[in-house]
Amino acid sequence: MIEAAPILVIIIPLMGSFLTPLISILTKRYKKDRIRDLFVVSIVIVTLLLVLHMLPTVWSGNIIVYRLGNWTPPWGICLAIDGLNIMVALIVSGIAVLVSIYSLMYMKNDTGLEKYYTLLLLILASMMGVTLTGDFFNMFVFFEIMSTAAYALVAFRRNWDSIEASIKYMVMGSLGASLFLLGISFIYSLVGSLNIADIAQKISIIGTNPLPPILILILALLMTGLSIKIAMVPFHAWMPDAYQAAPSAVVVLLAAGTTTVGVYMMLRVVYILFGVAALGAMLIVLGSVTMVVGALMALVQRDLKRLLAYSGISQVGYILLGVGFGTALGIEGGLFHLLNNAIYKALLFMCAGAIFYRVGTCNLDELGGLSKNMPITAGLFTIGALAISGVPPFNGFASKWTIYIAGIQAGKAFFSLLAIIMSVLTLAYLLKAVNAIFLGQRPKRFENVKEAPLTMLFPMMLLAVLCIVLGVLPSLGINIVSPAYNALTNQHGYIQAVLGGI
Amino acid sequence: MAGMTLIVKTASRLLFPFVLVFGIYIVLHGHLTPGGGFPGGVIIVAAIVMLLLGYGAEVAKVKFSPLQASVSENIGSLILVATGLLGLFVGLNFMKNALPLGTTGNLFSAGFLIPLNIGVGIKVAAGLAVILYAMLTAFEEEEK
Amino acid sequence: MNFDYIVAMLMISFGLYCLLIKRNLIKMVIGLEILTFGIHLFLISMGYREGGIAPIVTSVNPASVVATLGVDPLPQALVLTSIVIDVCVTAMLLSLAIHAYRHYKTLDMSELRRLKG
Repeated sequence: MIEAAPILVIIIPLMGSFLTPLISILTKRYKKDRIRDLFVVSIVIVTLLLVLHMLPTVWSGNIIVYRLGNWTPPWGICLAIDGLNIMVALIVSGIAVLVSIYSLMYMKNDTGLEKYYTLLLLILASMMGVTLTGDFFNMFVFFEIMSTAAYALVAFRRNWDSIEASIKYMVMGSLGASLFLLGISFIYSLVGSLNIADIAQKISIIGTNPLPPILILILALLMTGLSIKIAMVPFHAWMPDAYQAAPSAVVVLLAAGTTTVGVYMMLRVVYILFGVAALGAMLIVLGSVTMVVGALMALVQRDLKRLLAYSGISQVGYILLGVGFGTALGIEGGLFHLLNNAIYKALLFMCAGAIFYRVGTCNLDELGGLSKNMPITAGLFTIGALAISGVPPFNGFASKWTIYIAGIQAGKAFFSLLAIIMSVLTLAYLLKAVNAIFLGQRPKRFENVKEAPLTMLFPMMLLAVLCIVLGVLPSLGINIVSPAYNALTNQHGYIQAVLGGI
Repeated sequence: MAGMTLIVKTASRLLFPFVLVFGIYIVLHGHLTPGGGFPGGVIIVAAIVMLLLGYGAEVAKVKFSPLQASVSENIGSLILVATGLLGLFVGLNFMKNALPLGTTGNLFSAGFLIPLNIGVGIKVAAGLAVILYAMLTAFEEEEK
Repeated sequence: MNFDYIVAMLMISFGLYCLLIKRNLIKMVIGLEILTFGIHLFLISMGYREGGIAPIVTSVNPASVVATLGVDPLPQALVLTSIVIDVCVTAMLLSLAIHAYRHYKTLDMSELRRLKG
């Protein structure tokens, strides 16, 4: 194994984002802009290859610890990679490769593209930084870089709706990050250290059963700051506007990248830092409220991207519900649903982007009868719609069935029933969308609409194949998820690996 | 944007070299006195902004164009990352000190802190200059 | 009676009030700034030691004196990083305010409501 692989995964996209403006000045003079695009795609593929390179070592049970500057933790910053980290890093780098291939064609008509590619590489580097680090303040700094790059990408097209959506996203996101910083300062005053393993050790000495009032305050501040980022109800108000107004390639990165990283941060804080599995009741209640509100609001939408945004809010509720049940089956179901959510959300938003690229509108009242013009896009969108509703044999069925069974086994059958009813509602509004876009009367001005270009179809077909494969052979998904489950419940092993190896 | 009155122009022209040298002093002595890369970079850009506001944006663009600022910003950050990678090439971990340490209290001591401070100072000064140029020219487009 | 913490908490609550109640976009940015400065003040005053000196090793104060009498330098480094992040966020918010004025001709937050549903 390459010794420096953990730090190279963060440094290579960062250096790419510093080199991209310089390369773009050269290519603009010689009028060969494709070289810059291919440079960006190659850097993202190198990052994915490095993550895949680290997979066998982590899946055989070791925790990779990399010390920056040869300083031993807790006096130095370290990167600690266990099963949970590597799963989220795999999801994020895979989605980034697909988004960069997709945006080769999608962003063709926009100007100022060198800023777009710089921000894309910067948001990839910061997402890798949040995922792989083992130091709490380092996580906060990379979290802020990721948020700022996301605000700039949402406002990329400078229309009136992009500016308004970005202002709303920015004000709420900055408030959440400030609350997160206040939580970190309380933790520093309590234990005097900033390393995650060191804080976990000192908090377990203080005792978490029952939680003293200072720890309740810290937990409340950290959870509020993170809930604004992953758009849990009642902090979800920015998400439909931001997903409607941003370019579709950016929305794929936000829905499958930053939401996954936000859920990872929440799991790391609750399970490794506090080591408290008794917080399940709070996660169950918040998760079910998010699920219900998301599904009910999605029923009345008239715009395709807003409908998909509300259904994304609903799916995050499923993940929290599964993790909150607390049993082995529940946590594995929740983590499997995290993996599946990234795959079919990316597929649905890419199809919406393909429709917008060819037709120019996303309003359900104006579209209709496009299945004759865009047959492949129609088929892929239907696969995504059936997968997200939990219809066999797609991957959504495997993870949702696990969550239902876990709920019944944990004695909370009411929440399983609620989840089943919300799945039926999901199927209802997505079939309404399919009917409104692809079937029915075709308006006169859409006579000559062509199929989406091949570089946009290739990532969508890859994601649809993954949907089918993970649904037919769920054991492949369990191979990825069960090291994450082992890492999540093994707080003692994590502390031992980071601090004990001096 | 147009410049200001004669008093502002003369005063900014007189003060510019002193503020610039003071900013460079704070950047270079980052390992001995409080300061370092970021406050030093802000003071350097304050000197440039003084000239910008006194003489107007058109004159300033001839002297220090936004393209030059953008290129020097990227060069500053590449210095920063390259110093960190130097430790990687020698064989130790990232950001490990690979330059010689001198005696404490001298100017040329503390290994890799001087290149790091210089890189951060250049990046901060050029970055803030790019931001200010963007905001000033936004108003110009609106007035047209 | 620890004055630093009281002032920090007052600043945080003033900033939060300003962010939630005021309707002009520039005033909301100022409220966010005051909130962040209150958190920074809280973080720095966390490292204070009674009768302490500045944590700089010079020829007058050797390292042993600084280790026993100096204030904690770690929160100061954290606040420096956080100030840099805050500068970037404020610059972006003000640029977005310029663009919003060009599209909407007003800076009133209750007018920025064309995206509905």
